[in-house]
Amino acid sequence: MGPGYLISLRRQRNLLDFALGSLWRARWKNGGIVVVFSLVIFIIASFRLMVAGLEQASTAVLATVPDITVQRLVAGRQMPVPLWWVEESGAVFGIRSIKPRVWGYYFHETSGANFTIIGVEDFPGGEPLPGVAMQAVSADEQVEENQFSPVVLGQAVHQMLALGDRVNVSLFRPDLTLKGFSVVGLFAPQTGLVTDDLMVMAIDDARDLFALAPHNATDLLISVPNPLEVDTIAQKLMAKLPGSRVITKAQIGKTYNAAFGWRSGFGMICLIGTVAAFVILAWDKAAGLSPEQRREVALLKTLGWQTGDVMAIRFMESLVVCVVAFLVGTGLAWAHIVFTDGFLFKPLLLGWSVLRPSLSPVPVIRFDDVLIIFVMSVVPYLAATIVPAWRGAMIRADATL
Amino acid sequence: MIIRLHEVHKFYNRDTPRQVHAVRGVSLAVQEGEAVCISGPSGSGKSTLLGIIGGFFVPTSGLAEVAGVKLARLPDRFLTSYRRDYIGFIPQRFPVIGAMSVLANVILPLLPLGVEQRESEERGRQLLTRLNITHKQNMPAAELSGGELQRLVIARALINDPPIILADEPTAHLDSALSTQFISIMSECRAEGKTVVIASHDPLVFQSSLIDRHLILEDGAMVAG
Ligand SMILES: Nc1ncnc2c1ncn2[C@@H]1O[C@H](COP(=O)(O)OP(=O)(O)O)[C@@H](O)[C@H]1O
Ligand SMILES: [Mg+2]
Repeated sequence: MGPGYLISLRRQRNLLDFALGSLWRARWKNGGIVVVFSLVIFIIASFRLMVAGLEQASTAVLATVPDITVQRLVAGRQMPVPLWWVEESGAVFGIRSIKPRVWGYYFHETSGANFTIIGVEDFPGGEPLPGVAMQAVSADEQVEENQFSPVVLGQAVHQMLALGDRVNVSLFRPDLTLKGFSVVGLFAPQTGLVTDDLMVMAIDDARDLFALAPHNATDLLISVPNPLEVDTIAQKLMAKLPGSRVITKAQIGKTYNAAFGWRSGFGMICLIGTVAAFVILAWDKAAGLSPEQRREVALLKTLGWQTGDVMAIRFMESLVVCVVAFLVGTGLAWAHIVFTDGFLFKPLLLGWSVLRPSLSPVPVIRFDDVLIIFVMSVVPYLAATIVPAWRGAMIRADATL
Repeated sequence: MIIRLHEVHKFYNRDTPRQVHAVRGVSLAVQEGEAVCISGPSGSGKSTLLGIIGGFFVPTSGLAEVAGVKLARLPDRFLTSYRRDYIGFIPQRFPVIGAMSVLANVILPLLPLGVEQRESEERGRQLLTRLNITHKQNMPAAELSGGELQRLVIARALINDPPIILADEPTAHLDSALSTQFISIMSECRAEGKTVVIASHDPLVFQSSLIDRHLILEDGAMVAG
């Protein structure tokens, strides 16, 4: 027969073969269980991956948010910020830099899309967005350079403008005169979450395009090297600049979390309910061995199978069902998020709240998420089937007599 | 003596209103290679006695020793190993797993022993050839006729080459031709030196040349033999 471990290995193989055959013999029933179970796992996995993806997205978005943003409110509405605020703020100790920014939405009629235009002081001299990867565009076409203003586009904007190989594009000013731009770069596709709908240009070009008065900006972006000082500096700015609205990075982070944090918690509770229902179903199914199954176990016992052997095949059957359902359910959930942006559950998690920038889940598969999904689905199923399996395996051989 | 029973009693549902005293002080000694038939009316305790010899359960009192194994005090787990190593059991009504193939049914006892698939199938095919149903080896067991089913069950009982064969009313559902076939297969086994114990009240069995000794049970007690 050979050494002990070989015998035990062959025993496992034989029992696995038997378990697979036995699953196949009851393929309709087991297929039904796999479908229901896959669905449950799909729901759990979708939620988990959505939440993970949104967390990832909010982290990515927050990375581009300045430490402090200063806006101006008049009668509760946002108004342009006068540039003398920059000098005024500069007096506050602990600030590294203050950068005015002009931004707004541009409605593009041909594609029916709203682009986000951002004008910054650092561009074209420096990076359009600090720390965001960009691809340069070759500039054969830029003949009359002085007439065209440089602009960097997000991938989605580039597609919607249907530029193809061309680099020049014209946008309307409010008075319907045209302003020409020349595309000098595209944001890298992997930064799509924060850059897809962006057109970044020099602050003066943005002012020109929006017909904003000189010495005005939409908001000020303030960088503070010491995170511990952010709140105090925000207080001081508010006191110094009457009518200002001062928003810290932490506050924006809280807004995101408030938007989907409690809903994901709520969703999880609903899920636990679903899982519990499923566990009861599994229990119910497995507990009531049919007379035929009872006879089969008694026969195997008669033929010299130990209780442990019968347990082993039941466990293998459950494990195969679980693994198949787990792979199908998790795979579908992943596809659902990657290819459909999580359309089934996005409203539940993000709801009606309108956030700027809006969030879209990033498909991330992290080991601990997969582990959570596994623990929430496979483990309860195995636990629910083990006791009935044990009771079933305890059927005595003499039942055949 | 390969089988030794001494003053064996078996109660079902002991100390309850449904208590049955199924075997009452049976003593029995069977030699290796002997073929014994236990007969008696229905309910006389034949199956219970086979169950004790086959290690399906332990006697309530008395001594039972088979192939040197003292059965009376063995826990379930060891009874199972005993059954696996020493007993080829042919139950009444020939239970099989109908959706599985004939060959797969025959090799069932070998699966938990860790015998390699190829080897066990080879052994199964040899037995099926000997019993003349190799041509049905891949057919689902549910599609077999009564006689073929009987041969499947015999092949399955022989697959682990047990020294003792127990059969419970094997001819109860067979016509006389198939009963004769059964007896001749058992005769071959006996010729190989196996010990055969059959519970049957079928004269075709206990009057056949296969049987060395004919025991009669009545109300759980041995009245002749
Ligand atoms: N599992 C059981 N539980 C209770 N009573 C049983 C059981 N099996 C058999 N009996 C009873 O024990 C007696 C002997 O039965 P059995 O050994 O099956 O006899 P036979 O095989 O000769 O017909 C009968 O009265 C029967 O009703
Ligand atoms: Mg009987």
